[in-house]
Amino acid sequence: MNKKKNAIRIGAVEFRNPVFLASGPAGYGLEYAGLIDLPSLGAVVTKTVSYSPRRGNPGRRLRETVSGLLNSVGLENVGAEEYFAEKLPPLYDAGVKPVVSLAAEDWEDYRKLLELTARQENVDVVELNLSCPNVERGGMAVGVDPDLVRRYVRLAKDILRGAAVLAKLTPNVQDIGLLALAAEEAGADGITAINTVLGMDIDTDSGKPVFHRIRAGLSGPAIMPVALEAVWRIRRRVEIPVIGVGGISSPLDAEKFFLAGATAIQIGTAIFYAPGLPGEILSALEERGIPAPINLPD
Amino acid sequence: MNRIKSLFRARVLRHQVLTPSCRLVVFDRPAGFPAASPGHFVSVRVSDSSVPLLRRPFSILDLTAGELILLVKIVGRGSALLAGANPGDGLEIGGPFGGTVFEPPARGKAVFVAGGTGLAPAVFAARTWNKGGLVEEIHLVHGASTRDELLTGFCEKDFSHVHQATLDGSAGFGGDAVSLLEKLVNDGVVPLDALFSCGPRGMIRALVERVGSRFAEHHASLEAVMACGVGACRGCTVPVRENGETLLRAVCSDGTVFPAGDIAWEEWED
Ligand SMILES: Cc1cc2nc3c(=O)[nH]c(=O)nc-3n(C[C@H](O)[C@H](O)[C@H](O)COP(=O)(O)OP(=O)(O)OC[C@H]3O[C@@H](n4cnc5c(N)ncnc54)[C@H](O)[C@@H]3O)c2cc1C
Ligand SMILES: Cc1cc2nc3c(=O)[nH]c(=O)nc-3n(C[C@H](O)[C@H](O)[C@H](O)COP(=O)(O)O)c2cc1C
Ligand code: FES
Repeated sequence: MNKKKNAIRIGAVEFRNPVFLASGPAGYGLEYAGLIDLPSLGAVVTKTVSYSPRRGNPGRRLRETVSGLLNSVGLENVGAEEYFAEKLPPLYDAGVKPVVSLAAEDWEDYRKLLELTARQENVDVVELNLSCPNVERGGMAVGVDPDLVRRYVRLAKDILRGAAVLAKLTPNVQDIGLLALAAEEAGADGITAINTVLGMDIDTDSGKPVFHRIRAGLSGPAIMPVALEAVWRIRRRVEIPVIGVGGISSPLDAEKFFLAGATAIQIGTAIFYAPGLPGEILSALEERGIPAPINLPD
Repeated sequence: MNRIKSLFRARVLRHQVLTPSCRLVVFDRPAGFPAASPGHFVSVRVSDSSVPLLRRPFSILDLTAGELILLVKIVGRGSALLAGANPGDGLEIGGPFGGTVFEPPARGKAVFVAGGTGLAPAVFAARTWNKGGLVEEIHLVHGASTRDELLTGFCEKDFSHVHQATLDGSAGFGGDAVSLLEKLVNDGVVPLDALFSCGPRGMIRALVERVGSRFAEHHASLEAVMACGVGACRGCTVPVRENGETLLRAVCSDGTVFPAGDIAWEEWED
């Protein structure tokens, strides 16, 4: 078997295959070591870290929907310092390829986060989570404004020097293609799409919203068609690689993303209920190769 | 990376119907399934479809050389599917999961309060500790809504004393398990060394507020809605007071057992 057959390249970085775990569901990575053969994957995108530790949201954080999951975890994380000191090194030791997910938060913290990241020896690829609420923007995500996306991506490229920068986009916008284009113009090496879709739920017993923050992020099979459309839309706008994520829950789903033009895929929610899925997708790719993108009419 | 493998396919061997809504589901212990302790749980994929989506967590009621036993109460679609699995069916099971567990009481005397299916970890603890000769006296206080819902028939021999309560007074003490424990404490019937509780949040909170302080220690096995079961998603957090700070701990991987008095109930919204 040719080990390199399914290797892919994003920017200057080579990944052994195009099957990644998505940021968040996989935590810092090794939590899943008993359930998933992590070193066999192309990469594990670790939970988004911010410069300072974050407590995340109070109240209920999870609610299952029909074929989906609403979450309101709220970027709880240990903060970048502890992440680089404690969480990242064991991944390298275990032979796992990490992609470091960084919170595109308020400008000064973001700059400090990038500077700290630039001081790390091994980090050759980061994913910017552009869906983080931004206080300077009244809680709106950076990722809804093309100008901000450009500024945030450019600063990352400037400070991180050689590292590949992936811009992870939110689908909660008018035209995700425009935001992808903005990221590409600013020098992004790849686009990751999509983050969760805005949703909410109401408890009919109490008559109150289920979540403290009312709105939450929808993921899982329910959003797969939304993600697929986003990948197709982005593909038409940009030349850089697109990483498809959203609801992938079978090898056939993965195939659709490659057909739509994705260079790689990420699996999130599915690892909660089917930790065997990444392995199944890898086997399918090993058997049949990575499907070539089809030409999609506009 | 030599983590213990924790994903298995387990075959249902048989059921034992306990009450109209509860049954024991007995699985063939899968090859390589690791040892477990009281308070550990498994998460079961109850359907191959995406409804219900997430695996469902269930405490281990017993784990022998050949069997893995769960106590399942039907409350919704997922638990109904599990309770309805036929002998011979194979289900994907993750586990055993959990960090902290019920530790045997230092002086050999334990009181368990189990609300509903909270009985599962209590039975596992009793069986494990009895087998190891680690307890001399172990009380069970068990509450249910009516006589028909009492679950203790199959496990009476595992405890030295079983005290039952029903809300409608149709059997045992008339009232809830917490009120029964209060009475047992006041009457000097139970030893006050170590209290262990498992069951609904409201019950554990009431125990802490009403009788917990009468015991030298009180450990509670908690439940929360879970997605990953392994400490990755941070979906199952509980606020716990430690060294003057309130920290968010994951029920699945930091628990399921916590010092009950340290839980910041006022911050733990459902
Ligand atoms: C660590 C742990 C151990 C558990 N041990 C047992 C056990 O030994 N026996 C047993 O019968 N049940 C146990 N549970 C609860 C069990 O997981 C839920 O009853 C089950 O997931 C409900 O699924 P469902 O699809 O039937 O119900 P759903 O349709 O999902 O929900 C029906 C009702 O159950 C509640 N519920 C859903 N998920 C949970 C949950 N994780 N915990 C508590 N309530 C929930 C919902 O709020 C709702 O009111 C345990 C839960 C945890 C977290
Ligand atoms: C519990 C949970 C936590 C998440 N946390 C993050 C995060 O920290 N950073 C991020 O970029 N995306 C996060 N996501 C979004 C996922 O990475 C992914 O983009 C989204 O869930 C869609 O993919 P899926 O349907 O395969 O899960 C999270 C998703 C879930 C369900
Ligand atoms: S269920 Fe994911 S952290 Fe506990």
